[in-house]
Amino acid sequence: MSWLSTALWVLPAAAAVLVGLAPAKLWGRSAFAIAAMLANLVLALIAIGQFDSSKGLQFAESRHWVSDLGLTYHVGIDGLSLVMVALTAFCVPLATAFGLWAKRENLRGYLALMLALEAAVVLLFVARDLIVFYVGFEAMLVPLIFLIGGWGGTRRVRATIRFVVYTLVGSLLLLISVITLGLSNGTFDLDGISANTSPWLFLAMIAAFAIKSPLFPFHGWVPEAYREAPPEVAGLLSGVISKAGTYGMIRFALPIFQEPSSDWRWLFVTLALAGLLWCSLMAFRQPDSRGVIAYSSIAQMSLITLGLFVGSGEAYTGSVFQMVNHGLLSMLLFLLAGFVEVRFGETAFARIGSLARGRAALATIVMATGMAALAVPGSSLFASEFLVLLGAFRYWWLVGAIASLAIVLAAMYMLRWISAVLHDRTATPVREGKDVRWEALYLVPLLAVVGFLSVDPHAVTARVDCDSHAGLVAPASTGSEICR
Amino acid sequence: MIAAISTPSVDLLAIGPALLLSLGALLLLVTGSFLSGERNRIVSSSVGLASFAGAALWAFLQSDDADHLAFSKQLSIDRFSLFVQIVICLAGVASVMAGWGTRRIGERISEYYTLLLFAGSGMCLLASANGFISLFVSLELFSISLYVLCALAVDDESSLESGFKYVVTGSVGSAFLLFGSGLVYGGAGTLRFDLIGKALGQGDQAHQSFVLVGVAMVIAGLAFKASAAPFHMWTPDVYEGAPTAVTAFMATATKTIALATMLRVLVTAFDASSNVWSTGVGGIAMLSMIVGNIAALRQDNAKRMLAYSSVGQAGYLLIGVVAHTPLAGRAMLYYLAVYTAMNVGAFCVLSVREREIGGPVTIDHLRGLGRTRPLLGAALALFLLSLASFPPTGGFLAKLYLFSAAIDAGVGHLALVGIVGTMISLAYYLRFALALYQPAAEPAQSPRPSHGVPIAALGTAAAAAVVIWLGVYPEPLLDAARVAASSLALQ
Repeated sequence: MSWLSTALWVLPAAAAVLVGLAPAKLWGRSAFAIAAMLANLVLALIAIGQFDSSKGLQFAESRHWVSDLGLTYHVGIDGLSLVMVALTAFCVPLATAFGLWAKRENLRGYLALMLALEAAVVLLFVARDLIVFYVGFEAMLVPLIFLIGGWGGTRRVRATIRFVVYTLVGSLLLLISVITLGLSNGTFDLDGISANTSPWLFLAMIAAFAIKSPLFPFHGWVPEAYREAPPEVAGLLSGVISKAGTYGMIRFALPIFQEPSSDWRWLFVTLALAGLLWCSLMAFRQPDSRGVIAYSSIAQMSLITLGLFVGSGEAYTGSVFQMVNHGLLSMLLFLLAGFVEVRFGETAFARIGSLARGRAALATIVMATGMAALAVPGSSLFASEFLVLLGAFRYWWLVGAIASLAIVLAAMYMLRWISAVLHDRTATPVREGKDVRWEALYLVPLLAVVGFLSVDPHAVTARVDCDSHAGLVAPASTGSEICR
Repeated sequence: MIAAISTPSVDLLAIGPALLLSLGALLLLVTGSFLSGERNRIVSSSVGLASFAGAALWAFLQSDDADHLAFSKQLSIDRFSLFVQIVICLAGVASVMAGWGTRRIGERISEYYTLLLFAGSGMCLLASANGFISLFVSLELFSISLYVLCALAVDDESSLESGFKYVVTGSVGSAFLLFGSGLVYGGAGTLRFDLIGKALGQGDQAHQSFVLVGVAMVIAGLAFKASAAPFHMWTPDVYEGAPTAVTAFMATATKTIALATMLRVLVTAFDASSNVWSTGVGGIAMLSMIVGNIAALRQDNAKRMLAYSSVGQAGYLLIGVVAHTPLAGRAMLYYLAVYTAMNVGAFCVLSVREREIGGPVTIDHLRGLGRTRPLLGAALALFLLSLASFPPTGGFLAKLYLFSAAIDAGVGHLALVGIVGTMISLAYYLRFALALYQPAAEPAQSPRPSHGVPIAALGTAAAAAVVIWLGVYPEPLLDAARVAASSLALQ
């Protein structure tokens, strides 16, 4: 089954080329693109089915790429990769379905870019070689730049440039760190990279991931990009692509730089707490749905980073689980916001409101999503946040106490969002615009998976257990074998 | 008694590619006198294309022979020179394709291809030059051809200006080179690179001031040709004014040959003083990376943008000269091949667009191209992204390779400046790439009827395929570059 890791990214890449270049009618292109994405989802499901939770890396494939520099094409899937790949393969078709529903113009380019984006993101999640990872990390920028710059809102060019500048500064720092690591080890293969103690390389590498996640105070690009991008792309950005940042921390920054990461733990815990509180407060003040979701997304990502840095097995599992939950919910929230924008033509809370009247399905979906997103007990997000907070309390009770405040704040901003969208009366109530009908096709699957994970969190946690037992940054496990 | 007359050994086959190009040029001079009009155009273009392609093939077939010296040891026929010749000839092929059917040259089409072939021939000779005599002769052969080529559209003021600027600054560069080689002769007592290397290797002659001044002048002369800062002033005007196909050839082949020659001269002849010149070349490299990339930020004319970008690219490539390890040599050759592919590709697209709008291409003329002409727009976007070194294009691997070589050779500070330069360069490459997908400012006019566009499009497609291929499966070319670089005494 070693072909599986490769097939998961080659399939969308090949489909992107075909969609972009082959002559076909528009509906044929759309159908083909969606079919390719669904086929990739099937591949991801096969991977889940064949995955053996008791083993580490599976479906591995390794061959020489540039032997001079010790570059290998090494890919494989372990528990963490598995859930991330599955998340990607699940979210991209839904986002594309939204794009088709929203009647994106110039569909040919749009579909090709969506497929290319999926290919790049999957590649970075299955990469076991630093350069292959970097290739995916950089390559996904290209479709994103064109998707935001080509299909975004009125101020899209500004947002794109800001997004590009922020991310590329990070990427190039990452590149320096990666080249230095690779040359000093004689290989870029993760299996051949030995632990490193240089704080500079650590900071250079983690800067890239901190910008991508985003971690306070590197989140300057986020609000604008999430507002100006098309809603489904914003959903992918916050749901899937931001995970590349935390994934990079888990996969590379923390295991390779054990000593520096433990030395600098105080900094990242502080930044994560600051981001958590600040962005939760900011989310409460936003005048539109996208603003609320954008800031809540930064806050959630801060919580994930916190879980990674407090250094305990529970918090690690919680963080990975949170990555999945937040991915699904943030995708869902952005698609809902996008739905409201497209259907009612308004974004500001001041101009929408009382949408619940006569629209039972919309009200139900918004309410359910909101409840899940504020981590109501019993929801999957509650489980993951609980694990992270548990780890935080073990690290230092004060950190746990501060982080717990965020739960309260999350309830505040999510409830405000629900009432602003569904119930608040505005001067000019929106009367036009139908309820959710066929749109349920791209909304309900996300909600269903969230529901499923609420009932059975074990589906994710069992698969990432192997990594968690290794206790990535736990002080107790210094020197223990890292689960790669 | 008959005195034995010593005849120099002349192995004409050793310079097969250059010879073939010269023969093609001579043939064109003959046919140009008999043919006219459309027939002349087709014959000239075909002969030009066939000569370049044949020369590339010849160089490729020659690469099985062992390295040897020819023409009284004035020429070194080795894998390095053959690699460079192949790159140059392929750049020639692409340039002929880019300019296929152009009307800008008017009736002087056979002269145009004659000069292009002579320029290619000079470059092929220069690639194997093993002494300052052969270096200067072949350098002047291609330079003078290019001066005239730039000014060939004599009805066009910008073309004349371009030719004039090029001849003045180019002559200064040549003069520097000539004077420098004279000074070196004073120190080493020979003009052959390998003998200079031996002579300077013994004793402390390598650090005599006039030898060092000579080396500096040789570097400056070659930096003029490579348009590295601060010797780049001519580049934007000349690139802008010259016919686009000529610009494509100058931007790729001239840069390739100038940098390859610089590497060969410096490591073969002046290895003993490498501690001195590597600092100087490092300074030029840094300056080029910064000046070129910053100046490109404000350019709206596509050719001027590419001109400044090529100054920046020269800076990256010079890092390879500074490092001059075997790894750096390979990285540089690989980078040169990728650079040639992505630049000729970009110029092919511009050449097509230029003919459609009937004038110089600015960023406004590219707006909306990705929507009205999806394939052409996508190809240009690909070349720009490759120049900006995004994976999975060749530009990414080339830069990765080069910067790795720099860090490996202990000149990490240059790699750092290179990375900063790359960051700056993203702003203008992406500006042009994004413009392709923005709505056009004015409603799209129907394109003018233009000739030869399918051939230029074919060149574009081939270049795009090469750019992707080198980014995904670089090993064959890296092997070739490894063999080629081993011909030089890199260490």
